[in-house]
Amino acid sequence: MAETQAAKRLREYETIFLVKPDLTDDAVDKLKERVRGIVDREQGKVLRFTVWGKKKTLFPVAKQPRAIYVHTSFLGSGKLVAEIERNLRNLDEVTRYISVKIADEVDPETRPVLEDLKLAGDVEETRPGAPAEREGGGFRSVEAPDFVSPDAEEDAPEEA
Amino acid sequence: MGGDDDKRGGRGFGRKKVCRFCAEKNASVDFKDQATLKYFVTERGKIIPRRISGNCAKHQREVAIAIKRARGIALLPYNAVVG
Repeated sequence: MAETQAAKRLREYETIFLVKPDLTDDAVDKLKERVRGIVDREQGKVLRFTVWGKKKTLFPVAKQPRAIYVHTSFLGSGKLVAEIERNLRNLDEVTRYISVKIADEVDPETRPVLEDLKLAGDVEETRPGAPAEREGGGFRSVEAPDFVSPDAEEDAPEEA
Repeated sequence: MGGDDDKRGGRGFGRKKVCRFCAEKNASVDFKDQATLKYFVTERGKIIPRRISGNCAKHQREVAIAIKRARGIALLPYNAVVG
């Protein structure tokens, strides 16, 4: 605000954090607002929050097979990232987080604030044509068709 | 240098591998893009080497970092048990 033009350049970061799957939408919104509050306090600028919804994790996280993913991109300084991560670490609902720098030297004026998004996440029971709907053999056939890739046969001799 | 080509031809695998990210101008490596990264790990979750995936050095580096980041947020497995 009262700073010079040169100091107005900020870095763009994105942070993704995983939240326990049993949280309600309201609780997730509360977390979002908390992060937004930190960014505002540190003179950053939130560009967008995207809640990816409940997704299946590839391995159990906090003893749960699913997690709610929340993605946010914002402008700010390194100090802001440290502050956000410190807060995420202290929140029991947040199980994992990662922050990545996307760009250096962004002029905050040029980046519009985008509306928050909410994605559906994985749809579990009613996926059309999902193998689970066919009779029998539920679990095994879920994975099999997905993983037939050209890499598979090339890779096989190495692991054998 | 020339020897490499000969060897390749001799073994009958003349298929030329191109780096996917170089071939497509606007393709970028993104650790959030689970579907694309899946292509560069084995069923077991190991990173596929460059000589097999065909990536160029620069993009293989980026892919490797992206895979490791994706593992951190459980988008890719560290170790998946097969079979």
